Amino acid sequence: MGSQSKRKQETALVEIIIISAVIIAGFALQFVIGPLDFGILVFPVNLILGFILLLPILFKLSQPIRKFGSGKVSVILLTIVTIMAIYMGLVSGNDVKHSWPFAFVYLMCMVNLAIAIGKRVRKFRLKKDYGFMLNHIGLLLLLFAAGPGSADMQRWFMTVAEGATEWRGERSGATDPVELPIAITLLDFKMDEYPPKIAIVDKVTGESQPVKRPVFVEAVGGETGIISGWRVSVDSFDYRPMMAPVAMISAERVSDGKILTGRVSCGNHFQQFRILDIDERLCFAMTYPEPERFSSQVEVFTKDGKEKSGVVEVNAPIKTGSWNIYQYSYDTSKGRDSQISIFELVYDPWLIPAYAGIAMVMLGSLTLLFRGGKRE
Amino acid sequence: MTWNEFIYFALGSLLLWTFGTVALYRVKKSFTGELLIIAGLLLFSTFIGLLWSHIDHPPLRTMGETRLWYSFFLVLVGYITYKIWRFKWLMAYSILVSAAFIFVNLLKPEIHGTNLMPALQSIWFVPHVTVYILSYAMMGAATIAATITLSTGKKRESELMPLIDNLVHIGFGFLVLGMLMGAIWAKEAWGDYWTWDPKEVWAFITGSAYLVYMHAHYAKISRKDALWILPVAFILLMITWLGVNYLPAAQGSIHTY
Repeated sequence: MGSQSKRKQETALVEIIIISAVIIAGFALQFVIGPLDFGILVFPVNLILGFILLLPILFKLSQPIRKFGSGKVSVILLTIVTIMAIYMGLVSGNDVKHSWPFAFVYLMCMVNLAIAIGKRVRKFRLKKDYGFMLNHIGLLLLLFAAGPGSADMQRWFMTVAEGATEWRGERSGATDPVELPIAITLLDFKMDEYPPKIAIVDKVTGESQPVKRPVFVEAVGGETGIISGWRVSVDSFDYRPMMAPVAMISAERVSDGKILTGRVSCGNHFQQFRILDIDERLCFAMTYPEPERFSSQVEVFTKDGKEKSGVVEVNAPIKTGSWNIYQYSYDTSKGRDSQISIFELVYDPWLIPAYAGIAMVMLGSLTLLFRGGKRE
Repeated sequence: MTWNEFIYFALGSLLLWTFGTVALYRVKKSFTGELLIIAGLLLFSTFIGLLWSHIDHPPLRTMGETRLWYSFFLVLVGYITYKIWRFKWLMAYSILVSAAFIFVNLLKPEIHGTNLMPALQSIWFVPHVTVYILSYAMMGAATIAATITLSTGKKRESELMPLIDNLVHIGFGFLVLGMLMGAIWAKEAWGDYWTWDPKEVWAFITGSAYLVYMHAHYAKISRKDALWILPVAFILLMITWLGVNYLPAAQGSIHTY
């Protein structure tokens, strides 16, 4: 018994030495050639890596290699990952996620998962193992798609004017537009706004009153409210296309019945704002209307002949093949009068495996909800 | 149906839920309590349904409307979890948190006008946050139980250990669901399901710390030693939830609204 437990400790030692060696090699690479360039993992390199990770699941490995799929190794790796992530979360401006040591630990986690899954596959019993399989295969898929798979991901920004068709995109940060295998025609850009609000503003500091807990009255005809001792009512509100919103307001100071009336407007890209002075310090003013929703009516064409039309909106992208088109922005200085729409185009051929992984882990976590801490 | 009638439905539901929970503790058979809780849920969902048809779009645009869903789902999921695990305290807790959201809606009605920015207008908003609230409750309870076990020694170990393991595993289930719903939502809103945004980094840290606990027995770490992980993991969880916005590394996070 004594010698057996000693041997067990020794083998754990071997695993710790191997993990340390790999991490040290990562640091060495980091110092010699700098951060990991994800470009080296693009297709087909990541696919080959994927096949290698499948081997321990498909074939029975020899005992010493199987050790690397043990729970012990998973605890060591998880601890290291946690520590690395804490560094990532505490130190500003770090680039841990593109560093070699992190990439190697990430890889070892995938190897550990693959071997652990391989061991379970050999003695698989549905009733006992389905939770384990969903969680671990799902996680492996997700880690793979989000890690090596993400090397194939491309993100482009495309600015399209209303009525125009555009096929050139820009990477964030870069200036030269590049022709993409996908084109967008912008038929219409539409934006709904929340009504702007009437506030009492300190002209020196710009702070809305009362300081720290400002009160606003919505600029909607008939709306009333009390701000810092003034009973404010919005008599009329006018917001025509291309014009700045204007509200006619009247305000009565509750303490002495003093009455002020006048127009206020937040102005826009070519009209001046208007305020209604209370005294030298304070005035009534209007806030800018905030976007409620914005969307673009588009037609999308791909080089291989696919066509699609529809509406792109925040939280509702359009999919064409492996491309997803997102509503990203618009001409914010013009707000709802913007005549351009900015899209983000994301190409991710590994999205389906990633979603499959997410779905499996979600199902797996449901089994956690039902089974609780019962040991498998 | 408008917000003006909310008070009747809200107080009615709260009364039903409170009596229901009291009945769970006092009445031998759980039937009465469960019936009252279900009645409260029906009453509350009636309001949501009527409000929905009145404003003609899903009530998911303003903060007040979002809180309405939290109040509902907290009790619903709390009840389902109670059905499976019979944790009466969890039923009481979820009603308490739900009541807090209801009272914010009742006492600060001007909040109804607070605008929800377009990225937050998603069907994932409510479930994403709700399951996290439940996960935090489970993990909080597990941490308390772990602290008791660590300070009282052997005596309560056998009694509390299974409870702690159940809580951590269920809490982790909710945690993962919250994280992955967030990932799907992020893909729809920002184009990528994981960007190592500071909030995501800390959610990852929290998740992996609990995974260390859940795998500790494979590494032949004794149950008692493993318990020390739980208070640490809970501190990490608190940083994720409340502290991230104050960290220097988190300036410019897309999660600080």
